[in-house]
Amino acid sequence: MTKQMKGQMLFIRGLLNVMFKGNALFYVWMSVLSGLIIAGAGGYVIQWQEGLYISNMRDQVSWGLYISNFTFLVGVAAAAVLLIIPAYLYSFKAIKKIVVFGELLAVSAILTALLFICADFGRPERFWHALPFLGSPNFSSSVLAWDMIVLNGYLGLNLFIALYIGYHRYHGREPKKNLILPVILLSIPWAAGLHTVTAFVYNGMAARPFWNASILAPRFLASAFCSGPALMIIIFQILRKTTDFKIENKAIAKLAEIIAYAMAINLFLMGVEIFKEYYSATHHLSPMQYLYQGLHGHNQLVPWIWTAMFANIIGFFLFLIPATRNRLLTLNIGCMLIFAGIWIEKGMGLIVPGFIPDTLGEIYEYMPSQLEVIISAGIWAFGALLYTLLARAAIAIDMGRLRHPEAPPAAHDEEEGPRAKDIMSTKVITVSPETTIEDVSKLLVMHRISGIPVVDSKGKVIGLLSESDIIFREIHHEPHLVEKLGDMILPRTIRASDRSGSTAGEIMTSPAITAPEEAPLKDLIRPITEKKIKRIIIVDKENRPVGIVSRIDIVKALEHIAP
Amino acid sequence: MRKNLSRRSFLKISAAGLCASALAGCSKWVPDSEFFGKKFTEMSPQEVQETLRRLEEKYTKKFGLPFSVTAEPPRENTVFGYGLDLSRCIGCRRCVHACVRENNPSRNTEIQWIRVLKMNKGGFDLEQADQYYSPEQVPEEGHFYLPVQCQQCENPPCVKVCPVQATWKDADGIVVIDYDWCIGCRTCMAACPYRARKFNWKEPAIPKEELNPRTHYLGNRPRMRGVVEKCTFCIQRTREGRYPACVEVCPVGARKFGNLLDPKSEIRYILDNFRVFRLKEELHTEPKFYYFFSLGA
Repeated sequence: MTKQMKGQMLFIRGLLNVMFKGNALFYVWMSVLSGLIIAGAGGYVIQWQEGLYISNMRDQVSWGLYISNFTFLVGVAAAAVLLIIPAYLYSFKAIKKIVVFGELLAVSAILTALLFICADFGRPERFWHALPFLGSPNFSSSVLAWDMIVLNGYLGLNLFIALYIGYHRYHGREPKKNLILPVILLSIPWAAGLHTVTAFVYNGMAARPFWNASILAPRFLASAFCSGPALMIIIFQILRKTTDFKIENKAIAKLAEIIAYAMAINLFLMGVEIFKEYYSATHHLSPMQYLYQGLHGHNQLVPWIWTAMFANIIGFFLFLIPATRNRLLTLNIGCMLIFAGIWIEKGMGLIVPGFIPDTLGEIYEYMPSQLEVIISAGIWAFGALLYTLLARAAIAIDMGRLRHPEAPPAAHDEEEGPRAKDIMSTKVITVSPETTIEDVSKLLVMHRISGIPVVDSKGKVIGLLSESDIIFREIHHEPHLVEKLGDMILPRTIRASDRSGSTAGEIMTSPAITAPEEAPLKDLIRPITEKKIKRIIIVDKENRPVGIVSRIDIVKALEHIAP
Repeated sequence: MRKNLSRRSFLKISAAGLCASALAGCSKWVPDSEFFGKKFTEMSPQEVQETLRRLEEKYTKKFGLPFSVTAEPPRENTVFGYGLDLSRCIGCRRCVHACVRENNPSRNTEIQWIRVLKMNKGGFDLEQADQYYSPEQVPEEGHFYLPVQCQQCENPPCVKVCPVQATWKDADGIVVIDYDWCIGCRTCMAACPYRARKFNWKEPAIPKEELNPRTHYLGNRPRMRGVVEKCTFCIQRTREGRYPACVEVCPVGARKFGNLLDPKSEIRYILDNFRVFRLKEELHTEPKFYYFFSLGA
């Protein structure tokens, strides 16, 4: 077995370990989900054998619960972007820390959505007909063919980002920014495009006036930006309660704020649509009438849509008012109301009225069959199970429980603020121990610096030579000068030592005070105040100097934090 | 230890359940040459012939009577058009049943390619129409009848939305479906403004004595569960120069059919001499199915 294979085996074993080992509550949760998945799989076997006849879909209403859930889940996936924008465009640290959970949610939601599509296909085994090269995807005219591309592309982007960052954290390395940042930035417009294209699948059908409204894509985005974050807030609180992972309140507050705006826009767009249909009152009003009032005595969806309406409006006010938005109880109620409200509004409330009345004016009322519900529950459970496992892996990597044995110990990056590498001056001049004091003095004057690291032949720091060391050397023969000036110019730690010699190695202060590149500001301030030194050498993992943080650098950094 | 045990047994049970359901699901289906087959439009002439022979053999064996499956191509200089005389139609639905006998749609889900709408006189509101009328006698007082089937659009929205190019408009204007390529996503059904497309919600079943063994690959050959089908202007007949079954059977001569490119055809006579309209013209689908009125009162 090669070393690499061994490493991979180790990673997989560690991964399985953190994914599947847990407390009693975890096993209960997994058992419930597995039970639902098995029931759903059983239901699907029946559907496979009997055909979609087991659903309540018919020629009049040819899409139902499966496509409703598909549409809703694509929205949830697109909402991952709401973590990426504040994290990467505005460097909001509290959200940057949890952005991976948004990406994993996108991955799980897309896979779940794809399963719903498969459940809806009459001939799922022919899915490959839709694949480029293998099959014959209908470019450029079929929106659905495009939708498959953007869906899978979005899945790929988020999977790549999550895996890449996770793998680097596992090895204790920093992800390469110039490689991953373009991918992250690409995923922002891709998310908007993903949901827009999904809206266009319905939007482009002139035969269905209920969908054939230009406002459909904007409404899709607005409702996705409510339901996605609502789900995330619920998930984050569960993660906070059931794991040791810390999620800051201000990250949740930010999401809550986004929900308030998005829901305002969503309700506005809905009102605009209702006005247009009811005021002009053409034949195109019929589907909306069916949805909100019932049509010709058919009104099965009416209680559902009004439940959604009230849930969305109450949820909106809970999020609008800061007092209820910032209280966890009301916040959670609001999240659940909005999640349920949008699920109805954008699921069955969007798909079914598209078919009622049908294109020949017939009304066939659709409510999912028991098997459709069972299969759908199974697919949802699959999504939840997948997300549970992915989130557990992400937390384990983040907390350093899943880590390559040779990786450096996890930095405690709990606190925010600049690190040594952000504030240090990178222009480092070094000297060897053999350098003469005359040469060192010239260097100090030439570069207008007051200290210089002394390195060995391999470039590793062995000490620091400062102007104080040189002055001390000059005056140590004159005890009265030492007496007079000692307290002013000398680091106290070396005051007692007797320094004489003519090379850097002989008079330098050793060992030098060093800090790693990742050291937070706090760790830089402490030695300067405690040891009364003027500068810290910043070193890489091999103890080679990469920068210097002087007192003035720290003053500047502090000024930046609290202006 | 206890933790370990529960985890192991839990995993075992779920794995076993999943395997069992997967096996049960697959037992009825094994990938075969049909599964790996090519799309009809991409087959070489030889592959088409091989496919037709394979299907004939398969259907003959399955249904116990000799089947023929052809793939007669469109005729030169031909675009088919259909005329329906609303002033003559009495709503007897003989066309519906002749179509069923001709085209082998499933009987257990009662797929019918033609739907006849009973309309209220004095208007044209589809929402007021009744498709399920069954009086002792037709026509009924105060009503007229609007038969609707695939309109063979010049700009077919169903073709536009199909994600896998399983449906297309052939040179003679007939919109056809490759049943072996359709994935059953039903997007075409959502896109069709005329409810022309029907889905095989379950495995089709047809009594042996009602089967029509003279079939066309893109037309009335037996279909399978999970695919979409629709009127093809009786492609198996019309490409051989015969009338569609519905035209032949109509007792009042309300149905007319012919080549739009032939100035001497019946359909051209109708277009030249009557005022015609097409359903939902505002959608720009450009149907080749023309409604007209030959009688006054």
